[in-house]
Amino acid sequence: MKKIFTLLLILMLGVLAACGGDDTSNDDTGGSDSDNGTDSGETSDGVQSVTAWAWDPNFNIRALELANQAYDGDSEMYVEIIENAQDDIIQRLNAGLSSGTTQGMPNIVLIEDYRAQSFLQSYPDAFYPLTDYINPDDFAQYKVEATSFDGDIYGLPFDTGVSGLYVRTDYLEEAGYTVEDLSDITWKEYIEIGKEVKAATGKDMITLDPNDFGMVRMMLQSAGEWYFEEDGNTPALADNPALEEIFVLYKEMMDADIVKLNSDWSQFVSAFNSGDVATVPTGNWITPSVKAEASQSGNWAVLPLPRLEVDGAVNTSNLGGSSWYVLNQDGKELAAEFLANTFGSNEQFYTDLVTEIGALGTYIPGTQGEAFEQEDPFFGGQAIIQDFATWSEQIPPVNYGMHTYAVDDILKVEMQNYLNGADVGDVLDNAQSQAETQLR
Amino acid sequence: MKQLTNKNNIGWLFVLISVVAITLFYFYPMFDAFLLSFQSGMGANLEYVGLNNWSRLLNDPTLRQALINTMTYLIIQVPLMIVLALFFSVILNDPDLKFRGFFRTAIFLPAVTSLVAYSVIFKYMFSIDGIVNQLLLNLNFISEPIAFISDPFWAKVVIILAITWRWTGYNMIFYLSALQNIDRSIYEAARIDGANSFQQFIQITIPMLKPIILFTTITSTIGTLQLFDEVVNITSGGPGIQTISISQYIYDLSFKYTPNFGYAATVSYVIVILVVILSIIQFKVAGEKE
Repeated sequence: MKKIFTLLLILMLGVLAACGGDDTSNDDTGGSDSDNGTDSGETSDGVQSVTAWAWDPNFNIRALELANQAYDGDSEMYVEIIENAQDDIIQRLNAGLSSGTTQGMPNIVLIEDYRAQSFLQSYPDAFYPLTDYINPDDFAQYKVEATSFDGDIYGLPFDTGVSGLYVRTDYLEEAGYTVEDLSDITWKEYIEIGKEVKAATGKDMITLDPNDFGMVRMMLQSAGEWYFEEDGNTPALADNPALEEIFVLYKEMMDADIVKLNSDWSQFVSAFNSGDVATVPTGNWITPSVKAEASQSGNWAVLPLPRLEVDGAVNTSNLGGSSWYVLNQDGKELAAEFLANTFGSNEQFYTDLVTEIGALGTYIPGTQGEAFEQEDPFFGGQAIIQDFATWSEQIPPVNYGMHTYAVDDILKVEMQNYLNGADVGDVLDNAQSQAETQLR
Repeated sequence: MKQLTNKNNIGWLFVLISVVAITLFYFYPMFDAFLLSFQSGMGANLEYVGLNNWSRLLNDPTLRQALINTMTYLIIQVPLMIVLALFFSVILNDPDLKFRGFFRTAIFLPAVTSLVAYSVIFKYMFSIDGIVNQLLLNLNFISEPIAFISDPFWAKVVIILAITWRWTGYNMIFYLSALQNIDRSIYEAARIDGANSFQQFIQITIPMLKPIILFTTITSTIGTLQLFDEVVNITSGGPGIQTISISQYIYDLSFKYTPNFGYAATVSYVIVILVVILSIIQFKVAGEKE
């Protein structure tokens, strides 16, 4: 009897082991992207390939495709591009890196700057430093700050989130304003103009999603401040004059009844496509969405962002933006070489990025040339790319730190409390103590 | 050879396969998650911190809010849905009702829709310029649109409406099948004794359905504790954390914020503990003998 039991047990273990073994070969059952699970590979004709994950087929994936064409380095290689939603990339990276396996991981991955420090510090040695491949001085300073950790630069800075104030010139005219009246103003003046615009045209000045703190982050960076001290870890929410001013301004906007609320991206886009709001302060990546409504051509202009009144605040900021990272596994040298050859040094490539997909990079030598002086009839002949490029040089660098999104969620709650009548100092003190207990 | 054919032993062999599989794929991860709940740190830098995670649970305002929200959904939504499902099933069980098949299908249909798809549709129906606001405006019930999704109270109402719409038909099916097993002669006897429809419902239908009511209450309770898709897609927990569910908080801790898998595991054990406690209470209240 015992023998048979033993035999059965062994059989079962064998079956289980076989299942385990199958896992690896079945790894790439991801439909069309059959090379999902491979690291660097080599095809029969000796051309090497690395894999890359990105999320936007109209933007960063297109940029990778262009990079494939532009690559002219020594090794015969190309990048296999795999499209994943950004949330999926974050999940799969976290799952893969925390289990310590590189199986199924890409060689190159795009990570949002706000999350970069969190990945770099959570998974030490998982990423490959690019310090030897690129010259940090070639890139916008605030991007280098966001992609560096412990003296090394890990990310190759990609797109800029340089922000501006998109305005409807026809609505402003109706309310008796010119674009000059809104250039280089403070948020206080912005709200006053907003009230006039609402009175004259009935249109709201701005659209906001109470559950998306992008606006707050953008205003905060314009003052060279962030949720944390310089170290990126100590919360700086209480006694942060910039943050306090933002809270007060946010409430003033709400109280002035110049805000059209939205609750997700598509409602946000439809708010200005339908002509319901007069201005949109946000990152330059919104340009294609604004231009999507062709009937409004000629009625838009882009102005510098309004500024805060605290010391050091400027009329420019950043919202979003991401960078390329190389995972520390087989094929890393090849992947790094590819990035350095294209995104890291090729000026012509950056010109193509602008002309073909309107993507504004952060590689300084690549932000000049004819492509940038192009006048855009949609924006009344304004050379908006040139303007954005100029503003992006003045973006104050800040350390985004480890916990941007966690603090976002804490502040959202406190903002509701403040809007419901609590004292601004109290809610920020509250947020500070919550952040201190939670972020350890 | 004689021993091999011993019925008992062969039986154990069959059981063994599922025992090993369940141990490997259920109990081992559960045990591992339990160990994980004593560790903390960012991403891969986990280290043992003793009971720190468990004490952090006690002063975590987000978890407190998530518990309050989940309990609100539970206390309002589960009874509402159970009563509705009972009501529908009794009506649909009436042999004199015309188009029974059509109504049954219509009420069950929501249960086969994808969670994400229906959540997104609810979100749009209740948006500022959505169909619900338009309807209320046109009927002059309200003078300006209600911000359903960004108002703490209305956001909860929308979530409760959505889950009720989705799951009522599902529970109704259980009642329908149970109703068909109740002997008609019991009702006949009751009618002869002079019981009206309401008395029949209270005195016969409900007691006969008791085991099924208990079962659906427990599964609905567990389902509500694990609520995720609807909240994430309709309100993403907002405004602020006014509609966040425990499962969403676990997700946020693991993937949205800098990952802290240790604390996330601790929070997931809160759900385990709650399910156990609530199930015990329900068994006691329903008075099961065993």
